Amino acid sequence: MGRLVLRRLGATVPVLLLVTAGVFLLLHLTPGDPIDVMMAESVDATVKENLRRELGLDRPLHLQYAAWMGRLLQGDLGRSIRNGEPVIENVSRRLRPSLELALFAMTISLVVAFPVGIVSAIRRNTAVDRAGATFALFGICMPNFLLALLLIFLFGVTLRWLPISGYTDPLEEPWNGLRSLALPAITLGLALAAVVTRTLRSSLLEALAEDYVRTARAKGLSEWRIIWSHVLKNALIPVVTVLGLQLGTLIGGAVITEYVFALPGVGRLVVDAVFARDYPLVQGVVLLIAIGFILSNLIVDVLYGWIDPRIRSR
Amino acid sequence: MAGSIPGSDLAEGAAGLARPASSPVRAQRWKVLRRAARARLAPFGAAVMVLAVLVALAAPLVAPYDPLAQDLGNTLASPGRDHLLGTDNVGRDVLSRVVWGTRVSLMAGLVSVALAVLAGSLLGLAAGYCGGRIDGLVMRVMDAVLSFPPLVLALALGAVLGAGLTGVLVALGVVYTPTFARLMRGQVLTITARDYVDAARALGGSGWRIAARHVVPNAINPIIVQASLSVAFAILAEASLSFLGLGIQPPQASWGSMINAGRGYLQQAPWIVFGPGAALFVTVVGLNFVGDAVRDALDPRTRE
Repeated sequence: MGRLVLRRLGATVPVLLLVTAGVFLLLHLTPGDPIDVMMAESVDATVKENLRRELGLDRPLHLQYAAWMGRLLQGDLGRSIRNGEPVIENVSRRLRPSLELALFAMTISLVVAFPVGIVSAIRRNTAVDRAGATFALFGICMPNFLLALLLIFLFGVTLRWLPISGYTDPLEEPWNGLRSLALPAITLGLALAAVVTRTLRSSLLEALAEDYVRTARAKGLSEWRIIWSHVLKNALIPVVTVLGLQLGTLIGGAVITEYVFALPGVGRLVVDAVFARDYPLVQGVVLLIAIGFILSNLIVDVLYGWIDPRIRSR
Repeated sequence: MAGSIPGSDLAEGAAGLARPASSPVRAQRWKVLRRAARARLAPFGAAVMVLAVLVALAAPLVAPYDPLAQDLGNTLASPGRDHLLGTDNVGRDVLSRVVWGTRVSLMAGLVSVALAVLAGSLLGLAAGYCGGRIDGLVMRVMDAVLSFPPLVLALALGAVLGAGLTGVLVALGVVYTPTFARLMRGQVLTITARDYVDAARALGGSGWRIAARHVVPNAINPIIVQASLSVAFAILAEASLSFLGLGIQPPQASWGSMINAGRGYLQQAPWIVFGPGAALFVTVVGLNFVGDAVRDALDPRTRE
């Protein structure tokens, strides 16, 4: 198990290096001079020159990259142009709403997907199964900003049950906090639930065709008992894979969801930074998101080895 | 993954003759098309696709009004005989804007996927064919691109490339490139190990000739499948980006930007959001059916 983790970590290093190089180049690919972006046009040319020298923007690209990497390794991601605060502080302030949203959405998706997936597999080709398939198709094709607006229209505007924007921290005010996260989490959770339902159904069907299921039936076990103690664990592996593959979509979905519901999370920060042309902030946040994404993929891989012993030895 | 690419078995069957453009292959194409058409929901998907293409091509003829013409005396009008989908906050006809938006969406889907297919196939071909250092470099770069959540990468690239449709097309092209590069590389590795490639080499075929005449034609099926599945997602991605404010700029209409603009009027005029929303949803569902049908027709394993 330890070797699997080490090997995966080792393979991650060159990719991480390329990712940092890409993110570094991002700022240098921007049309126009970064100094002009940072300062008003009226600012004196010598002041601009001084800032350029101060920031090292007059040096060759590879030296700039080396200096940037040096600072990066010390945890210095630069400062936002807009509020002058370090990027790290900007991000860490926004981290909690995003993580809460992700956790809540994940919970909703599993709570929906498991019953629907299991029932669809057991009652295969019945009305229930078809309803489940329709739900999955709906969830996969529905852009989440549209789903968000549908939910706002239904629960916020028409029924007035739930708040449609803003954020209350559930750790401070549990009930209002959960209410403020409910619509965003449903938006994000349903799309994920659709994918998980589909995968779970087909992997359950595959597992149900195995010999050990026939043996269990011959022993006289009930269908539910067979699913619960024999089939589910074997059917879980593709689900974990799909959850891993969906991480990127989930993060992208979170960006849009946070934007629609005005949740002060990391995703909203990216969008705001892009439109404020706050390039150091864009650079920093995108890099942190990529690193987070790479690490979560690593965790999924390790989890995979933990569920399925056959993979560990490979 | 590389060994289990959908469609690779089929390529083997078609390629035994090592003369890809001959008539048996054309006959097989027809069989594939017929098979695709028999899939249950494919007719609906195909109808949606044809309708969308026609609407996009004939937008000036189909749209009842000028999509940019404001009518400040008739804002937020509800759907009725004059305006089938109502009007927006500055009195523009929502249906006409949806019609013109079809153009943007289809173009975004097709062009970005075409860019990705082209770039990805060339990179994958180079990686699989040259091997060694080039392979390592290309595939690590592709891994790096895949290390970003797609939407975040597209946002960042869109920001760098500047607002406008071109920026979004290139950004989405970059995002989808690794998928095709990996697919092509896997195909190339399996195909170059086949006997008929050895035979072609023994006959003195040059590297380029073998790549063009034997490898590419046999590797193309999974690429087609992936491309047809990707178009729907590219359309969704363009809508998401233009919803966030990148992509084609106002007053030009795109489904995503219309939906974003209508957000503030959800209570008084929900049709501003749900008109383009329905168009987007139906198009994506239709294209998904087409993509599934193409996959089922080309990949013998998914057939029941």
